[in-house]
Amino acid sequence: MAHEGAAEPLRSSGTGNTWPGGRSSPTWTGLPTNLPDSVLDAGWNERSDDTLHDRQWKGQRLALLILLTLIGALLVAMTIRALADTPRIAAQWRIDALGRIELASSSDPALRAHIGQALTGVIGPDDAVALPDALALQRTPRWVVQDADRERQQATQLLLVNALSAQSVRLFFADGSKLELQPAPRGLGALPVASWLLCAVALALYMMAVLVVLRSASARNIIYAAMALCQAGNLLLMAAELALEFGLPAPLLRWGMPLHMAFDLFTAAAMVTATCLHPRRLPGSGWIALCAWGVAFVLVAMFSAGALPSAWWWIQITVILVGGVGVGLLSWSYQIEPHPFAIVLRQFGIVTTTTWALLTIALAASDGLRSVPHNIADTGAAIWYVYLAALLLLVPFLARSQNVLREFALLAAVGTVAISLYLLFVAVFTLGQLPALTLSLFVSLGVYSAVRQWILSQLIGSSVLTTERMFEQLYRIAREVEARPERVPTLLSQLLSDLFEPLEVNVGDLRTRRSRVAGDGSSMLIPVPVLGGGDITPTQSILIRFAQRGRRLFTAEDARLTDRVVEQLRRAVHFDKAVEQGRHEERLRIAQDLHDDIGARLLTLMYKAQSPEMEDYVRHTLQDLKTLTRGLAASNHQLSHAAAEWKSDLSHRLIAAHVELKWVFEFDVDILLTVVHWSALTRIMRELVSNAIAHAQAQQLEIDFRLLNDRLELTITDDGVGHDPRAWSHGLGLGGVRKRVKQLGGEVEWREVQPHGISCRVVIRDLSARWQL
Amino acid sequence: MAVKVLIVEDNPVARSFLTRVVKESFSDALTITEAGDLESARRQIGPLGNAAAVADPFKLILVDLELPDGNGMELLAELGQYPATKIVTTLYSDDDHLFPALQCGADGYLLKEDRFEVLVEELQKIVRGQPPLSPAIARRLLTHFRSGSGGSSGVVTTDPIPLSAGFQSSRPVPMGRGAPLDHERLTPRESEVLTYLSKGFTIKEIASLMGIKWFTVNDHIKSIYKKLNVSSRAEAAVLASKQGLV
Repeated sequence: MAHEGAAEPLRSSGTGNTWPGGRSSPTWTGLPTNLPDSVLDAGWNERSDDTLHDRQWKGQRLALLILLTLIGALLVAMTIRALADTPRIAAQWRIDALGRIELASSSDPALRAHIGQALTGVIGPDDAVALPDALALQRTPRWVVQDADRERQQATQLLLVNALSAQSVRLFFADGSKLELQPAPRGLGALPVASWLLCAVALALYMMAVLVVLRSASARNIIYAAMALCQAGNLLLMAAELALEFGLPAPLLRWGMPLHMAFDLFTAAAMVTATCLHPRRLPGSGWIALCAWGVAFVLVAMFSAGALPSAWWWIQITVILVGGVGVGLLSWSYQIEPHPFAIVLRQFGIVTTTTWALLTIALAASDGLRSVPHNIADTGAAIWYVYLAALLLLVPFLARSQNVLREFALLAAVGTVAISLYLLFVAVFTLGQLPALTLSLFVSLGVYSAVRQWILSQLIGSSVLTTERMFEQLYRIAREVEARPERVPTLLSQLLSDLFEPLEVNVGDLRTRRSRVAGDGSSMLIPVPVLGGGDITPTQSILIRFAQRGRRLFTAEDARLTDRVVEQLRRAVHFDKAVEQGRHEERLRIAQDLHDDIGARLLTLMYKAQSPEMEDYVRHTLQDLKTLTRGLAASNHQLSHAAAEWKSDLSHRLIAAHVELKWVFEFDVDILLTVVHWSALTRIMRELVSNAIAHAQAQQLEIDFRLLNDRLELTITDDGVGHDPRAWSHGLGLGGVRKRVKQLGGEVEWREVQPHGISCRVVIRDLSARWQL
Repeated sequence: MAVKVLIVEDNPVARSFLTRVVKESFSDALTITEAGDLESARRQIGPLGNAAAVADPFKLILVDLELPDGNGMELLAELGQYPATKIVTTLYSDDDHLFPALQCGADGYLLKEDRFEVLVEELQKIVRGQPPLSPAIARRLLTHFRSGSGGSSGVVTTDPIPLSAGFQSSRPVPMGRGAPLDHERLTPRESEVLTYLSKGFTIKEIASLMGIKWFTVNDHIKSIYKKLNVSSRAEAAVLASKQGLV
């Protein structure tokens, strides 16, 4: 499970994917498209939800996992056991002002009398060891800078071990006093806490390596495992060295330095190889990797053969150089494809290499200085290795939120920086211990906050889209989706682009149940929700790649945020629908009530009318009521349908009045009339026609309706007896016409036509401008 | 012998108005029976079981849609085989109300708010076989026939169905869903007429557009009415057989 993310792009790199537009041009490949296979790894299709979790830990794999776990645990247990059984003198030592070994504290009452005295020699049954300086106290040969010092240290240590393995030893102190002691195994409980911790981290790294390789034995996973195993070995060695004060066992003395060296150089070589393969396979990656491994092997072989002078410098500088090459390769990789993983790795690479270089300089500068605490070099190095271990544990989870581990890695890096700075201050600027400590702490805290910001900016979404804008967008989309459900993918894609600024957005027929991060955080797959319908499993997904124009990784938080956004969108659509439904039902109810109650009464009133005028008046009222209620009940009217009804209704009435109708109706777009438009236009026409029938005594009525370019022009011309329209007193009827035309944002005018008759012209520019009246 | 007319209308004022309309429309001697609700209408009509046996059936029935004890459409549905001209009188002019009424077998509809003279003329036209068809109804008819009237049913009657009353004596035989039968299909001419009607053309205009006489247009409309009626009845029959009523 652990490294599944990293397994993807390796496959993709094999498909030779080419970046379409370079990193500067985001590709909006148009929507909806099928996922272009050049951009999408071939492996993608296999990686729907179904295949994601199919690698169960079952059968042989499980057996192997358990076996390897047991082996690792056994190895660590044996190491600890061996450490606990090694005989030692129960005392703490430090370096005094003259650079001699001074007894700091002891649990042995006999030794306690000598606290504060310098140890000058140890005599065993066979050997006598003189201890002129504190070299023997430095635990590991790995951090002894000079070759000569290292050889002398090894010789001294060898003698000490022999002496301590005897039944009793005699210690000589600087004041001439002697003490005979029996070195004894310390037991598990007395092992230093740091040793336990280092063992635990080593085991964790080992487990990670095992899991990653068992999950998928791809080339890249194996390289990762190699790095992890090397570092696990380093840590285990350090745990041993830390536990034993002076007197490292002979094999450790002989092989400690070559092993450390091999682990360091192999890790560096593996790192270069990894950057060659991930996030994408680089051209000539094989040769680069070969070179790195070649250098590592040659150096280790030469040192083992004793043919490498100034070995410490070789290791340190080689690691720095190789680290620099790794950073360069990642930059190159990012140039080729803006995979944000490359940036994140590069940043960690820079931090790692820089701290290593700092540590090297600090150790070299402080070499041989007596004012420096004896084991500070070991501690500094140990912290650096712990940092690297944390980083290795973190890498497979970069896209997920492993905040604790991330912070821990950063803190460890800063620990290295603090110690290096401290050493530098003491060595180069000859500061006192306290000022050096304070200063280095302050500086490293500053470095910590800066680096943290720098690295996290790639990992944590600093959303450009404000909450307010997002809500606005959400509701706009919800409204639009309601009208045109087929546009959901496009609209959602736009929202996601605003949210994450990806370089690529694609819609494809992938099934996924929830949003998830893929391709090591370079991509995120979001299911296109089926809005409005029930809980149908989405059949389409949006794939966005390279967040913030390829500068940021997608994290699990991003996926969760996206899920919440989609959920909000779904709710907004539901809500809008419910509101619309409610409005419609309410309108329908009002229409029904009006029509049934008022309509029936008006009808009765009409039948009982005293005069034809009264009857006509009530009839018109009733017809208006019916128009009103129909407008309420129906939501929209197609213009062509409305026109048919207008014509049918008007000709019906004109035929009854023996007036001939000339009907011209033209439009360029068959728009949907809103309720307001429909009822206003219906009443305008009906009123004007009624007027012509009632007063004009016309033979012919011409209705000319044109809707072109959103401009409505309605002319109703009669050949009746009316004249001088300016002198008309506009009663309820014509006043109503004026009012409704104004309501639609138009103008109306009446004028006389030759030879006789009245023409009424209604002009409404931008008919759709007042769509939402 | 006087022609029997039944007017089912709950509003007494409207009832007397309609009575005047009917009296004005026909020169025959009339016996007008009035009913205020479905219950009394059913009483007046008598048992429906054997329509032919009814000695002196109503020749003309006017039914309001909204009645105190139910909808006029119920009565129309029951009167499927009754040999009368059935006319819906209503305030509703929208196709949502009228179309179901036509499907239930109404021969035409009158809008109650129309003028007296208009109503008289319309009533005479319907009885003469010139039923009205508004553009909205025409549109509904077009979609109804286009989607195949049996759209909701998988089985239809196989026997050729006489267009006269009493067609239900043939037993519906289950059959796989196939092409709509002839009686459910509109002829090209009928579709054309319907299309023009749905665009708001008057019958005269349609006649001149199609180069036929106006009464030919009317025949087409009549035929469409019948097809709607028949196809609806076939649907109803299928539905009934499915529910085990027949």
